[in-house]
Amino acid sequence: MLAALRYTPGQLRGVLAIVAALILGAGITGMTAILAKSAVIEETTSQSGRLSVAALQLYQALSQADATAASSYLTGGTPSEEMNDTYRTAMRDATVAIATAAGEVKTAADTALVAELNARLPVYTGLVETARTFNRLGEPVGATYQEQASTLMRQEMLPSAHDLQENALGQLSESRAGAEAFPWVAAALTVAALGTLIWAQLWLSRKTNRVFNLGLLGATVLLLGFAGWLATASLASASHTTRSHEDGAVPLELLAQAEITAQQARAEESLLLIARGEDQGASDRYEEHITALTGEGSLLDRLDASFADDPELADSIATAREAAETWRSGHDEVVKLAREGNYAEAVAMAVGDEEQSLSTSFDALNSALTEATRTSADRFAEATTDAQRSLSGAAAGLAALALGALICAAVGIQMRVAEYYA
Amino acid sequence: MIQHRIAHPKRTVRLAVVTAAAAGLLLAACTGPADMEPPNVDVPTPLPAGIDFAPDASPAEPDTSCDPLASYNPAGVTAEQARATLDNPDQISIGISQSTNLMGYYDPVTSRLEGFDIDIARALVEAIMGDETKVKWVPMTSGERESAVNDDRVDMVVRTMSITCDRWENVEFSSEYFRAGQRLLVSKDSGIEGLTDMTAEQQVCTGASSTSVGNIAAVNAEVQPVTVPDFNDCLVLLQQGTVDAVAIDDTILAGMAVQDPTLHIVGEPFSQESYGIAFEKGNTDLARFVNGALAAMIADNTWQTAYDTWLKGPLGVDATAPSTTYRD
Repeated sequence: MLAALRYTPGQLRGVLAIVAALILGAGITGMTAILAKSAVIEETTSQSGRLSVAALQLYQALSQADATAASSYLTGGTPSEEMNDTYRTAMRDATVAIATAAGEVKTAADTALVAELNARLPVYTGLVETARTFNRLGEPVGATYQEQASTLMRQEMLPSAHDLQENALGQLSESRAGAEAFPWVAAALTVAALGTLIWAQLWLSRKTNRVFNLGLLGATVLLLGFAGWLATASLASASHTTRSHEDGAVPLELLAQAEITAQQARAEESLLLIARGEDQGASDRYEEHITALTGEGSLLDRLDASFADDPELADSIATAREAAETWRSGHDEVVKLAREGNYAEAVAMAVGDEEQSLSTSFDALNSALTEATRTSADRFAEATTDAQRSLSGAAAGLAALALGALICAAVGIQMRVAEYYA
Repeated sequence: MIQHRIAHPKRTVRLAVVTAAAAGLLLAACTGPADMEPPNVDVPTPLPAGIDFAPDASPAEPDTSCDPLASYNPAGVTAEQARATLDNPDQISIGISQSTNLMGYYDPVTSRLEGFDIDIARALVEAIMGDETKVKWVPMTSGERESAVNDDRVDMVVRTMSITCDRWENVEFSSEYFRAGQRLLVSKDSGIEGLTDMTAEQQVCTGASSTSVGNIAAVNAEVQPVTVPDFNDCLVLLQQGTVDAVAIDDTILAGMAVQDPTLHIVGEPFSQESYGIAFEKGNTDLARFVNGALAAMIADNTWQTAYDTWLKGPLGVDATAPSTTYRD
């Protein structure tokens, strides 16, 4: 074998072997990188994507259910049809989200979280229904059941839902890092294959006094095409994935957090009144949530900082802030009324149907956040589709180009080898 | 036909074996990453925030550092003088509970405050202001009572407040207007008839801020005390079967017992809780006038009517107003 390399035909075959190996390597790694990328993007929209969406929906639905259950307690056991609908819808969403999450979890920790939530939800609804029944009968102990339900929600269920969401988002950002990564191995092999091809052509032209070897030239052109496609597809899909993150996932997460924080604040506001103004803990927790929502460096501040120039989101965020401020000052009025013994007025102002009731500003806040969430969700979906589209056909195309380059190189060299035996 | 079926038992067996093997292979193929141990999940028992299953339970020492029940002699203070001590002479503000059934409770159906404490307070408003409507009701927690009178948030507090020597350090008290005592609330079929019946396996719930834990330990050192920040949680824990009994003032137990026909109050009182009305430290004029008004209320049957309305039925005993002693 080594002896054969002393003669030109043997050397030619050696060059062919190296070129073929490099092209083959570049082709295979490039193709698998692209396939892995689309699998990862597929996963962000399906597997871990579905888990993070389900976890988020669960978190939102649970907060909403608790806020609604607590406010409807204040209506003396006869909540409006709208409140009943909202509570039941939130419960439906929560159970559907748990079922979805159960089908998507991959780790033992996540399975345990889903199972914990699933075990606690019926206990929670049981407490709420007991509270409602005692409330209808006019028995004060109903208030304690409602408080216990909210305690279960606040201390055990919401933290579990939050952990599940954090885990899912963590998996999602790992996937994103995978989708954004540049296929360096394939790129290096391509460059090496190109270099070897060019060197082989220079060497051959010196050896044979022929300027061009059509086969090798064809292989070079095809391989250049291969390199171009690989780079374009990788960079384009990475930029779409980044866009899906920055324009979609980031605002989605902030908006969801804002919505959840608002729901939790609303629940505490109601609990404060359920306790007849005799629960300092609920008052403190309201302040904590509303400050996280509207205070210095709050969620709304962060949304403002990132999206104030965004024509589609800016309006919704401004509306949300205005509603949150109105709610906050109205809340102080409610607390004042309750503290001065005007309990009935305090309740009417907090959950009544009148225009100046806090329900109005709370609902306005919620619908503004929902509007912005819809916009961001559309953008996320659009960017993910673009990322997938930029990869479509790339794997097959790259395979065809690599194969073509391989055949051309083989034909080109084989023709020279044949001349020696002619 | 029958013979034909029986004639090939072996084939049937072979088929079953093959099917089972195939099914086994199929199952083995299905067990992928989803093959995880079922998670260990705690049995969800709803508990109130701040529950303490092992509170400090050193037996209470009898308080002999003062004569807590000796308040100020009412002689000679007029309603006008009493009004002059108010933060706002046109409206008296009174600290109450809105959440203690039968004592001080805001009824959302009637939108009215009602209960024994409220009736006493209303009669006092009438006596001091001459008009039952010149009052601002200020709901507060039991922990806020002492600071509320001293920080001028309210002029007085009528809220199931026991007179103790410790509290005399910070506030002025009226004479005793009701004598309560700690007793037990238990399920009717529990067989428990008093604190001494309870065993080391049983749990008794009480409020975290009250002196109940020490009082319980003084009578029964075996039973496990459980404390919660808000004693209303005790009733829920009893209904849920988490605890076996509730030990608080019988006035508060009465408010719980009327909400659940399967529960009843048992045993002799194992502590004495003498309720008094609290005033800002140094405001003895108001205390004196209120003492006079309380004596008048007892004389003209207002006190008896309030007791009969709210507590006689639920406590199941007739009672008369406690006798009053004055220090001067």
